[in-house]
Amino acid sequence: MNNFIQLVRNEQMKLYSQIATWIMLIILGVLVIGFGVLMKVDNTMISGEGPTGENWKQELQEQNTQLKEEQQGPPDPGEEREQIQYPSYTDIEMNEYRIQNDIKPSGYDVWDFLQTNRSLISIISLFTIIVAAGMIANEFKWGTIKLLLIRPISRTKILLSKYVSVLLFAGTMLLCLYALSFIVGAALFGIDSISQTYLFRQAGEIQEASIFQHTVSMYLLSSVNLLLMATFAFMISAVFRNSSLAIGVAIFLMMAGNSIVLFLMEREWAKYILFANTDLTMYLEGNPMFNEQTAGFSIAVLFVYYIIFVILAWVFFTKRDVASN
Amino acid sequence: MSQSVMQLKNVSKTIKNKQIIKGLDFEIYSGEVFGFLGPNGAGKTTTIRMMVGLMDMTNGDVLIQGNSVNKDFKKAIRHVGGIVENPEMYPFMSGRKNLLHYSRMIPGITEERIQEVIRLVGLENRIKDKVGKYSLGMRQRLGIAQALLHKPTILILDEPTNGLDPAGIREVRAYIRRLAAEEGVAVIVSSHILSEMEMMCDRIGIIKNGELISIQSVEDALQQTDTKEVSVEASPIDRAQEFLKQKVDSPVQLDSNTVTFNSTREQIPGIISGLVNEGIDIYSVNVNRSTLEDKFLDLIGENSIE
Repeated sequence: MNNFIQLVRNEQMKLYSQIATWIMLIILGVLVIGFGVLMKVDNTMISGEGPTGENWKQELQEQNTQLKEEQQGPPDPGEEREQIQYPSYTDIEMNEYRIQNDIKPSGYDVWDFLQTNRSLISIISLFTIIVAAGMIANEFKWGTIKLLLIRPISRTKILLSKYVSVLLFAGTMLLCLYALSFIVGAALFGIDSISQTYLFRQAGEIQEASIFQHTVSMYLLSSVNLLLMATFAFMISAVFRNSSLAIGVAIFLMMAGNSIVLFLMEREWAKYILFANTDLTMYLEGNPMFNEQTAGFSIAVLFVYYIIFVILAWVFFTKRDVASN
Repeated sequence: MSQSVMQLKNVSKTIKNKQIIKGLDFEIYSGEVFGFLGPNGAGKTTTIRMMVGLMDMTNGDVLIQGNSVNKDFKKAIRHVGGIVENPEMYPFMSGRKNLLHYSRMIPGITEERIQEVIRLVGLENRIKDKVGKYSLGMRQRLGIAQALLHKPTILILDEPTNGLDPAGIREVRAYIRRLAAEEGVAVIVSSHILSEMEMMCDRIGIIKNGELISIQSVEDALQQTDTKEVSVEASPIDRAQEFLKQKVDSPVQLDSNTVTFNSTREQIPGIISGLVNEGIDIYSVNVNRSTLEDKFLDLIGENSIE
């Protein structure tokens, strides 16, 4: 075990000795700060503003009345149409729920900023894919794999230490994103309240959650795609020993994944496609892609893919000869 | 006889129905420098890769200090340090960090040992620099340093002088000899350059088309051939030629101020003192050792591609 920790330390040392790794961290930081500043400067990008004054209940009520009127039919052409006041609060039921349960809407604050920045996880996926793709392939490229494998350590252990290192990198990036978004968000937009109640719809039902818990779970669920794609890139790297190939294929699949599912939507087996299941946030907020999909089903499918990737990586890494290029 | 530290037992390798290594069978003893000689593509590197477990053997086994590389890899490889092909290190890390990296992979390597090894290869002044800035000679030294960290009893160096300048080659050679003589390390070096092997090794195994065709001790090889070609630079040269014509039964060739003749090793001192007694000044005496090279070429012939 002690031995294994040393191996992971080695991998981390190699990773953070490369300038590329630091550039990735810096890009992430610049994006978070840049988004924050941009949103602060340009208010129109913020759509989360709600009625936060003393008589917010009344205002929401008015908004609902207005929404109902609109639903009843298009207003006569030419008649001056009153602007919807709070563009984010267009869900009548949700507004009523707020009024009934006395849950005051909050202004755009650090939590909304955190939710917005969740989209940056795809950038982290990209970076993690690059790191995972290089993990094994680069050792072959540098020729250092030979010196690595002539030590009294099994190849399985070396492979595992490299994989753990990839996960550590992804975890570090996620933590950085969350922490930095929190700091930047708090500094620019303030903290409305630490223990807000967040409302969302899960399969049509309105649910309440503590905002902190909710953002953390959304971040974690969004990372499932990252985990699978990083593992995939790692597997390609171990099988073909070529980092460009691993990066290319993994990024292509990450980008094209949803289109592939849409394209094959009609097929019976479409729900077994990896990408139809990687977005687990659809079970927390929103709707599943296929009617018969459940969270359990998706987790099972993801697990099977995951095991296949891991086994392929293991078999090729431990069994194949290290020959000259 | 010294202790045997490595045994190859009928080691074979077949890739795609083609037998690349054909039943190698030999032993390496502690304290010797064993040369693995053969033309390019004869199977030297493949054999070395099988010795250290980078490649699987199709047949046979390698025993290192009695431990099978196939069955007990971790125990076997603990005794081995090596460089396979070029001394490739992480270019973006300092020499020190590279050594730290490898030291973490084997328990029991202390900070003092790392310092000791750095001193041993003479890299103290540049050890904090990035390896990317090292010359090939320095990388070679760092390669040897990482191979020695865990005090191996067998050191495997694949083409250790490849790409080094003459001073570097001499240094590596002296270093290898010292390790073998003082620390009792068995050193296996591979090369396709005979003259280099002759100077470095105690025994040379010659491999051709994946087969071991001969193992011989360098001393024996030099002594086996009784007649040697001797060149003497002397003055006055015509009197030297006259003298030699009477003394030696082989033809004597004259080339500006050098005479060349054949003689046995035992005869040489007598001939030289004879020349001196005649009042002839001698500037140099050379014994041409090309005989071993001839022998090598005889053995190898052409390394035909099968």
